[in-house]
Amino acid sequence: MRLSRMLVVFVLGTIVAVTAATAGARINGAQKTTTITFWNAYSSDGPEVKRLDKVIIPQFQKTHPGIVVKDVPIPYDSLHQKLVTGIAGGQLPDLVRSDIIWVPELANLGVLEPLDKTLPDFKKLAATTFAGPLATNYWKGHYYGLPLDTNTRTWNYSTTALAAAGLSGPPKTFAELKTDAAIAKAKGVYLYAEGGTSGWNLLPWIWSAGGSLTNSTYTKASGYLNSPKSVAGIQMLVDLYKAGEMPNIILGGTGGLGTYDGITQGKYVSTLDGPWMFAILGGTVKLAGTTIPAGPGGSVSVVGGEDIVMTKTSKNKAAAAEFTRFMLSPWAQNQMARAGQMTVLKNLTKQLVKIHPYYSVYLKQIATARPRTPTPKWPQIDQVLQTEIPKAFKGDETVQQALDSAAKQIDALL
Amino acid sequence: MIAAYLFLAPGFALFALVILYPITRAFQISLYHWAIAPGLPSEFIGFGNYTKALHDPVFWRGLVNSGFYMAFTVPTQIVIGLVIAVLLDAHLPARTFFRTLFYLPVVTSWVVVSLLFRYLFITEGGLFNWFLNDATHVTGHNIDWLGQRWTAMVAVGILGVWKGVGWSMIIFLAALQGVPRELKEAAAVDGAKAWARFRAVSLPAIRPVVAFVTILLVMGGFNVFISVYLMTQGGPQNATQVLLTWMYLQAFSFLDFGYGSAISFMLTLIVFALSLVQLRLFRRPSDST
Repeated sequence: MRLSRMLVVFVLGTIVAVTAATAGARINGAQKTTTITFWNAYSSDGPEVKRLDKVIIPQFQKTHPGIVVKDVPIPYDSLHQKLVTGIAGGQLPDLVRSDIIWVPELANLGVLEPLDKTLPDFKKLAATTFAGPLATNYWKGHYYGLPLDTNTRTWNYSTTALAAAGLSGPPKTFAELKTDAAIAKAKGVYLYAEGGTSGWNLLPWIWSAGGSLTNSTYTKASGYLNSPKSVAGIQMLVDLYKAGEMPNIILGGTGGLGTYDGITQGKYVSTLDGPWMFAILGGTVKLAGTTIPAGPGGSVSVVGGEDIVMTKTSKNKAAAAEFTRFMLSPWAQNQMARAGQMTVLKNLTKQLVKIHPYYSVYLKQIATARPRTPTPKWPQIDQVLQTEIPKAFKGDETVQQALDSAAKQIDALL
Repeated sequence: MIAAYLFLAPGFALFALVILYPITRAFQISLYHWAIAPGLPSEFIGFGNYTKALHDPVFWRGLVNSGFYMAFTVPTQIVIGLVIAVLLDAHLPARTFFRTLFYLPVVTSWVVVSLLFRYLFITEGGLFNWFLNDATHVTGHNIDWLGQRWTAMVAVGILGVWKGVGWSMIIFLAALQGVPRELKEAAAVDGAKAWARFRAVSLPAIRPVVAFVTILLVMGGFNVFISVYLMTQGGPQNATQVLLTWMYLQAFSFLDFGYGSAISFMLTLIVFALSLVQLRLFRRPSDST
């Protein structure tokens, strides 16, 4: 009796399992699913990852049934290493949101799909984006990606700390910066904090002083990085530092009070940073932004941002292309702008200020902003800047000596 | 005979797979301008990467820093580990509790404690500066621990000792518990005091264990990476680069895997040579006959 009951249960169970499996197979047969993997360094400190996972990808999957997007957010500091490991092991995703400074390096390694050849509508898509960010995808005759978001650094300050420093407004010129820094010091706060001497940190000062890193064809640094104008830009910061008007985090040590912490604690008034700063700190500090203090060369900042690139090893290029188009659509760009990502679409800029008022200063600053040297050797160039320039801040060398030495080393890399 | 080799085979296969193959491969890569993307040609440059290392001032600084870390952490861990082991070998109350307490740092994650120590050594508001300056006024000013070469290396060294002392303690304790009680009792009957008993009976008995601990600690000291990478990132201005952080930067930031492999291979040779020297030094006079 007991045995026959078990037999019945077994038979019934088998029938149910077989029916379910057949039904499942029928569904899969009717609707084949393609999964594309998307590596990115969208920040989980702010609202970016949430916006991508909860709003953008669900909407894409709704409008593109049969394509599943696997989002793999990776901390920014680890993404480059992860890409390198992926390249060596032949395990890259379909799409990557790459920092603009990595695209020449990745293209040079031969792991990226030239999108101007792969996408039949590349020209149409490219035409909707700003020329500057688009140019960061260009390497040796081809475009290897499309711009996804752009940004630049502006002079961001805590209005509370500014008032505490006894100042009525942010400095507009180099001369005002020098005067205001001394006033702030007398009140026991630093007017301006900068977290290092990389290109991202210091190029705005070199350019605003009228100097440059290299010639216009990016083949020579000597005569440019160590020109009197470039030297003057760095000299101004060195003078501020030596007068005790800038904190020592510019030397790159990890023990100092970081820019965000310093501003939150009211010890620093300002730093240069991108729009994400408002998304991250906006809730805790009263922040405002303005253009970088102008020098003899004007107010010139550095272009940052990310491009979306497709890997050569992608097995789902058609689906990856669809997601690329979707990420460049006005709707998706608008959604990411709400999370602090500045759009690359020309037609969307007017809406940006409606989304967040702080974008207005970024739009103004980006009009004159310049890119870092587009070369696969950028990480080494950046390392040279971070090794040589602090010598001038520490007084081991003059600014001229430090920049002469840096220019010579960068010449060898170019 | 064949049976013996068959018994050895699984272990040797594993050793070959996870040790011999990577070493051979690293050596091969170190002889090339290595192209990381599969399918791209790599240029053979012989010992070019090794010559580059010998002319690279940061390589030498990294070697000195790795050596400093080793010299700072190894004797300290041995002495403190041994002292705690001797104390715990005595019949103290709550012995198990203290044994666990001292061993606890060993099982913590390097990443977590490195970040924690980075905060402890922060110039303004870090616990060390609070204690040395604000609480006890020993230094009279805040030390920029992580902003200068030697203070940063000391900070990394303190973490290494804190995290590693429990390991040497537990090995020494096991060895001390194996010292025959009769020998100690006989020495006591002969009138030897505690220090004399330790020096003449316990220490010679645990000599092979001291050798083992020293050799492993020296190897570990030269292989320091995570704590430096997370606490100082080799900076400022490469002042605190150790061989492995410099190797990592070359390989993963500059994509120069050939040079990175050359650095790691040279480190392997240095550690190998040091281990041979130590084995010889620790050999008892009777072993050589």
